[in-house]
Order: sequence, then C-alpha cells, then structure tokens
Amino acid sequence: MAKTRQKPDLLQGTLDLLILRALQWGPQHGHGIGVALRASSDEVLRIDHGSLYPALHRLERQDWVQAEWRVTENKQRAKYYRLTAAGRRQLAIERTRWSRLSAAIARVLGPA
Amino acid sequence: MLRARIRALIRVVSFPARADRELDDELRFHLAEEARDHMERGQSEADATRAARRALGNLARVREETRAVWVSTRLEQLFQDLRFGLRILTKSSAVSATAIVLIALVIGGNTTVFSIAHGILRKPAPGVHADDLATVSWVTADGNVQSHNSYRAHLHFLEHSATVRPLAAVDFQRLTLTQDNGSFAVKATLVSSNYFETLRANLVKGRGFNADDVRLDSSGVLVIGYHVWQNTFHGAEDVVGRTVSLNGRPATVVGVVETRFRGAWLAELADVWVPLAPERSWLQPNHPSDAVSMIGRRAPGTSLAEAQAELTTLWTQLQRTQPELNQKLKVRLVSYSATAGGDSLVATNGDRMLAIFSVVTLLTIAIVCANVANLLIARAVVRQRELALRQSLGASRFRVVRGLLAEGLVLSAVAWCAACLFAWWVSRVVIRFIAPPSREPLTLPDLTPDWTVVGYALGLALLCTIAVTVGPALYTGRQQLLPFLKLGEQGVVQARSKLSRALVVLQLAFSVLLLTSAGLAYRSVSFEDGFNLGFDSRNILLATVNTAGSTHDPAGDDTLLETLRARLQQLPGVQTVSYVRGVRTSSWLGFPVRAGRSVEPVLAAQNFVGAGYFETLRVTFPAGHDFDALNTSARRTAIITQDLAATLWPGERAVGKILIAGAADRPLRAEVVGVVGNAYFGGRGSATHPRYVFFSNHEQPRSPGETTFLIRHNAPEETVARGVAKALREADPLVALASLRSLDDHLAGEIAPLWMLTRLLLFFAGASLLIAGIGQYAVVSFEGRRRTREFGLRIALGASPEQLIASVLSEGVRWTAAGLVLGFALSVGVAILLTRVLFGVTPTDPPTYVSVFALLSGVSLAACYLPARRAARTDPVIALRTE
Repeated sequence: MAKTRQKPDLLQGTLDLLILRALQWGPQHGHGIGVALRASSDEVLRIDHGSLYPALHRLERQDWVQAEWRVTENKQRAKYYRLTAAGRRQLAIERTRWSRLSAAIARVLGPA
Repeated sequence: MLRARIRALIRVVSFPARADRELDDELRFHLAEEARDHMERGQSEADATRAARRALGNLARVREETRAVWVSTRLEQLFQDLRFGLRILTKSSAVSATAIVLIALVIGGNTTVFSIAHGILRKPAPGVHADDLATVSWVTADGNVQSHNSYRAHLHFLEHSATVRPLAAVDFQRLTLTQDNGSFAVKATLVSSNYFETLRANLVKGRGFNADDVRLDSSGVLVIGYHVWQNTFHGAEDVVGRTVSLNGRPATVVGVVETRFRGAWLAELADVWVPLAPERSWLQPNHPSDAVSMIGRRAPGTSLAEAQAELTTLWTQLQRTQPELNQKLKVRLVSYSATAGGDSLVATNGDRMLAIFSVVTLLTIAIVCANVANLLIARAVVRQRELALRQSLGASRFRVVRGLLAEGLVLSAVAWCAACLFAWWVSRVVIRFIAPPSREPLTLPDLTPDWTVVGYALGLALLCTIAVTVGPALYTGRQQLLPFLKLGEQGVVQARSKLSRALVVLQLAFSVLLLTSAGLAYRSVSFEDGFNLGFDSRNILLATVNTAGSTHDPAGDDTLLETLRARLQQLPGVQTVSYVRGVRTSSWLGFPVRAGRSVEPVLAAQNFVGAGYFETLRVTFPAGHDFDALNTSARRTAIITQDLAATLWPGERAVGKILIAGAADRPLRAEVVGVVGNAYFGGRGSATHPRYVFFSNHEQPRSPGETTFLIRHNAPEETVARGVAKALREADPLVALASLRSLDDHLAGEIAPLWMLTRLLLFFAGASLLIAGIGQYAVVSFEGRRRTREFGLRIALGASPEQLIASVLSEGVRWTAAGLVLGFALSVGVAILLTRVLFGVTPTDPPTYVSVFALLSGVSLAACYLPARRAARTDPVIALRTE
C-alpha cells in the first residue's frame, strides 16, 4: 500500500521523532501536535496535516503512543495521544540516532 | 506492541464501521480546530473552513492512508482477502454452491475410498499393537509369494536375529472342540510360545503359553477366544482349568483373550490358540509338512530394510548348511497390516492395487477440478470488467490473483468440511453397498476415517484449491485492460475461452474412459457370474463337517463318511447325497497328470469324492461309468473330464487307459473308468479349461479333517438345512458342523471380490458422468447467458426459437463428439492393457461401447438442451435494453 509522504522535504522517519518529541510535554490531540511542532520550530517546519494522522495511527499500533477520547476545554470530544513507556524509550533511541546523523552530515558538509 | 496489534486487529476485523467512524470524528475535530485558528486570525467562517481543508489535503486520501496503517500485516491482508473471497462466493451463490458440491463430492468420494484402502491395507487387526510389526513372506523363483516356510527357518531366525525380536511362528488348522454340550468346528491358530507377547495381545483370564507348553511330552493346553468363552462355555467364571477335547485328545483351557482379539490376520480369524510344537506330536501325528508363517516386531530403531538385510543373510547361511531346504526361496519382510498376511491378495498385489487406486483418484480429481475451474473461469469472464477496473485503479496483478486464491481457498475449505462428513457417513454405508452377496458373516476391517484420512482429505482440498485457482488466475493475469474498460456492462464478455472448452472435452473423455472400463468389467463379471459351469448347482446344500474329533485314521474316516452319507440320504426331501474332500477353489488346483506313455504332464485340478458325486451334480458320462462303490484299494480308478481325456489321448478312447498322476518321484497309477462331460467343478476361478481328475475317496481314504457333503433336495432349503444339522448331531455328536450353505451361495462367494471391485468402478464412473454432465451444463448455460444480447437481437430480427436451440446445441454436440472420440481412443488403449483380466469380452466389446455412446450422448445432449431452451425464450426487449 502507498506509503508515500506528502512532504518530501521532511526526512524519512523524522515525523515520528517529532511527534514523539511533541508528546513529551503531555497528552495532545492531532491538531495540537501540528500547532506545537510549528510553533516550536519557529514556523520553519510546516507539517502537512494529512500525513500526521497515518503517522499517529502507526505509532499507536507500535504501542509507542496510546490514544483516548477526552473532552477539550471547549467541551468538544477529541482523541488525545499520550507517550507510553515504550514510546519514551523509542524517543531516546531516535534522538540519539538523529544527533549522530546530523553531526555526521555536518562533518561531511564541513566548514564552508 | 503485539498486544496493540491484536487490539487493532480485533477492532478492524470485528468493528470495521466503528473504527471508520472514530477516524472520521478525529478528522472532523481537526478541521474544526484548524478553522477556529483561522477565524481567530480574522478570517470569515467560509474562508477558514476552506483553508483548514486545504491544509489537511485530500480527505479521502488521508482516510485511505490511515486505514492502510491498520491492515498492514500479512495476516490482516489475508483476512481481508478471505472476506473478499467469501463476498464473491455469496454474490454468485449458484455457481459457488455447484462448485462446493462438486469439490465436496470428489474429495468425499476419494476420501471414502482412501479410508477403505487405508483400513484394508494399513490398519492392524483389533487388539493388536501394530507399531514395528512385520510379516515374513517368501518369494519363489517365479515371483509368487507364499506365507509359509520351514519351521527350521523360524528357529534359526529366533536364535540369531538381532533386528527382529520377538518373532512368533504361526500356523492355521481347523479342529473339532468337544465338551459336555457337543462338538464344535473351531478355527485354531497354532502358535509359538512368544505369540501373545509378540502381538502385545491382552488376556482377560489366565495366562498365555510358556516354554513348557510347547514341549513334546507336555499335556495339551489351549487359550480360547472371548466369544468362545461366552458362547461355548456360557461365560463360566471357572473356565480356566477346564479340560476339553481337541480332535479327540484332552486339552486344558489356560487363558481367555480380550474381547476384540481374533488373531493377527482378518483372513484367518481364530477361535482358539494352541501351542505349536515343532513335532506337533499330540495334535496331529500325520501332518505332512513342518511349514509355518512368521510375524515379528522390529527392534527399536531398526528400519525395515536393515531387518530385511539381516534376515536375508541369516536365510542364506541356513540354506547353505541345510541343502534339503528350498534353495530358490527368497525372504521378504513386509510391514504388518491386518490383511497383509503372507500370500494374501493384499501382500502380493497391494502395491498394484494402490497404484490403480491412485490413478483413479487422480482421474476423478482432474475431472472435477477441470469442472470447477471451468465454472470459475466462466465467472472470471463475467468479472473481467471489475477486475480490469481494479487493476487500472492500481491493484497489482498479484493482489488480484491473491483474491482469486482466497476465493478458491474459501471454496475448498467449505467443501473439505462437507467432504469429511460425507466420507464418515459413506464409510458406514458403503460396506453394505460393496459387500458380496453372501449369507456368511463378513469380516471387514475397521473403515471409519481416522486422522490420517482427515489429513488426506485436507491434502486433496489444497490440491483442488491450487488446481481450480491456477486456470482463472492465469486467465485474468494475462488479460488486456483497455478493451474491457471501454465496453459496457453487457458487452464485456465477447471473448470465448478456449481453455474452458478444452476442459469440457477433457472431462467428457475421462468419463468415457471410466464408463467403458466399468462397462467392460461389468460385462466380464456378468459373463463369469452367468457362466455355465456345466453342472446343475441349483437346490444343492453344502454341509462342511470336521471329522477329526470322532475318528483318527483314514479307514475309520471313510466308514464314518459313508455312515453319515447314508443317514443324510434318508432325510425327507433329500434326493441324492455325496461328498467331496475340498470344496474351496484353492483345494482344486495344480496337479500334474500324464498319459501312460507321454512324459509331458498336463495340469489338472484333482479331488477325492464319494459315491454318487456326478449323479448329485447331474453330470452325464459320455463314456464309462461312475466309481464302483464295492471296489477296494487293490485297483486304483480315476474319472476325468472330456477336455482332459482329449488332451491326454487325442482321438483315442480314454476309458480303460492308465493315467499317471502326481509328482514324478511318487507317481500314482490309476485306470480311467469313466469320462464325464466338461464342467468347471471347482468354480470358474482362473481356470481356462475344464480339466479335472477325480479319485474315489473309498479307494484312497484320507486322514480325518474337513469334508463337504453335497445334498440335492426338492424340499425348501431351510427345512432341509435344519434336518441336516439335526441328523449329523444325532449320527455322531463328535462330528462338528463347520458350515451349511447352498452351492449357489458358495459359488457366488467365490467371485464376490470381483463384484465388489466392479461395483466400486461403476460407482466412480456414474459419479464422473454426473459431474461431467453438471460441468457441461454449467458451461453451456454460461455461454448462453453471455450471448443474451445476441439472441435478443436475432429474435428481434426474426430468428425462430428452433434456430437458436440448434445454434447452441450444435456447439455442445461438437464438444461431445470430441470428448467421445478422445475417450474411446483412451478406452481402447486401456482395455487392451486389461485384456488379460477380462473374461468373455473383447477390449472392443460392441455392446459396452454402444451403451456408453448412448448414455454419454444422452446426458450431454440434456446438459446442452436445457440452457438452449432457455436461450430461445429470451425476450428481445429485455435483452436489448440491458445495454
């Protein structure tokens, strides 16, 4: 089945890392995650909302996040995602991998 | 992770609607939030909603991608495929039902036959623990198999073999058991002392045999069967220790075996067991040979081949040291089954029977799979547009084929369940169906299916799945997409399938082959059944007695038989009485006879008969006369059939000549006193010429044993039978009556196995005809439906219904003709191979071929006519409007 991402400018697998990271501050619904990512990256990363949901569901299947239905401050039903213990571990792993990768890329590019 | 997957799987599989609804809720919330953000930034509600939608992208696509996450594992996809397969099946339920019935029939039928073959060839006799048991058999120089060989071989193997132990020796004998309430003919198995231990048979009372029992000077002992304990001893608790008389000698009951145990072989069910002493001193002083059969258990971890190799070495050693042993025999170790005793049909021909069975199985499976594949291809054609659409939307061909596979799998699974039930039911009914027409109680092996059989059915089901899927899959996989997409719903199916027509022709040909084979077999057996044996077999009662309990020497036996004959002769309703020493076909065969001067012997069947034998059978004497009742052993006389007389003395008068009978080293000279008309006295069997030689039992009395009285009567059989049993009991209570039946029943019993095989073959042929008929009907009716528009058009243009019927029929007839031609060619080929086993019919027997032609054409025309008539009734308005 199609696994193409809408935003090729986001590195493969990075979205998962970002979502996990965003959830570290506490349970959040899909829209909230999108807003948080945009805000924390100073509006640089514009996450395509369409790719957010398949990613969230994938993380849920892998048991890294857990979902539950809650009522928001505006009295609306929303699906909140929360990091699990496994998700926290995964975040740590992904983070290490990411810093190693970015350091490596920085070294290759070298001082201009 | 696994837990979450299972949870997701359960959710998706069991509540697909709910999962979808939740996703919708989630996305709707997202859109609302996003719109709210935009409105807070001052946009109008309409603009904000549009902006939110734009940000999310194609809503359907997001949904689809998210759902794909749910069902990403193979298992889930399989579920999806299966659900898809099930949906297709229920969508065109008539086709599915036909397919399921067909597959269930073929799997069920084959499983039944397999379960019978498995029961006959592989299962142990009741009460025997079969693991590692093996039977020793002997192969002669000319390839025949025999079960018995010298007792010395047994002793040698017993002493030296490391691979087969324990090894028991067995022989069979009819004995007369006498106790207070009368004499009984019993089947005795003579066994070595380790017999019960070897078979691991259990005793419910007393003990088995020990080394003391087989010693020469020991007194007689016996172990009795459970049914003998219940019937003859009325279940007496103190039966162990009682003394009875066996063939007139005292013997003590030492044990009773468990309920079901009747010995290792179904062909020789035992009533009692007695020790087998090498010299057999107390039981039968005059036993002519010391031959025994052997059955043993392979030592743990020894293969059949290793054990075979060791026995061969041991046997060669023994042959070298003891030249008087048969130097040409070879030893062969066979895996034990209840029917594979030594020289039994199964032991000698089991492999061949299995081979024939497998071929028939494969043939019927091929027919049915061809049929089902045809149905599925027919449906695949209808679905061409749907499948083309799916492919154009991006489904890979592999995915489409997988859908078809799932469809076949669902089909076979349902059929498999039906087939197992069917096989279980049929195996209980079929025994009655194939049972030979005889009044004697049958000893058939346990035929109910076990796990091996269920597994076999599963194997067949998988085979069917693959067979019925490959055709349609190939068909679909190859197709061009564009033409189908361009065409309308009705116009799709213009292409005709060469494959499906080829399959129809093939299955018609297979049916022809099976029908002609069955027809030839039926004709052959009917000829054999209705064959004029040359004597009058009606109104003759056979009473087999065992005289060994009453008398112990040949002279006494002769006197006793004559007394019994005289007694029976006086019964009301009895016309003539005589007797013959052996009545079974096997008692008659292979006896070399020479004319006085010739050296080349002629093989003839021989027997010893009492006075009035030929009169009782109503056979005339073209020359000479019957035995002289007063003649004593001073002068030996013989009576031969015309055929034998003409062979020994062509063109001469046989009466008065001397014939030399028996082996060259022990010749028996006898004067021919009579020549009787040609008759097959021993039943037709495998004899090709009525060559018989008879000696007078009075002139050459034999040791006491089994003798059969032939009683010609003119009163009802039941009455005479009761009178005979009573008269024998009164004349001598020590004479045991072994069996009482009519000569016609006896003769029918001799060819019963042939009937059984023929009926099975007819059953298969009938089923295959039915299947071929259904198949052709399905394909023709599908073709008719496909051409609905064309028919409508032709009717609208003025074609008559007859013309339409003719056009559909002519196509069907072409297939039928092709099937018949191919089938007849195959049949003649197969029949020529079978010439040797056919009796009275040629491989090209016209009546068989004409009937098969008529039958198949009839069925096939009916299968074409019904859909043709429906096509002719097409309403042009409706047909044209469907476009």
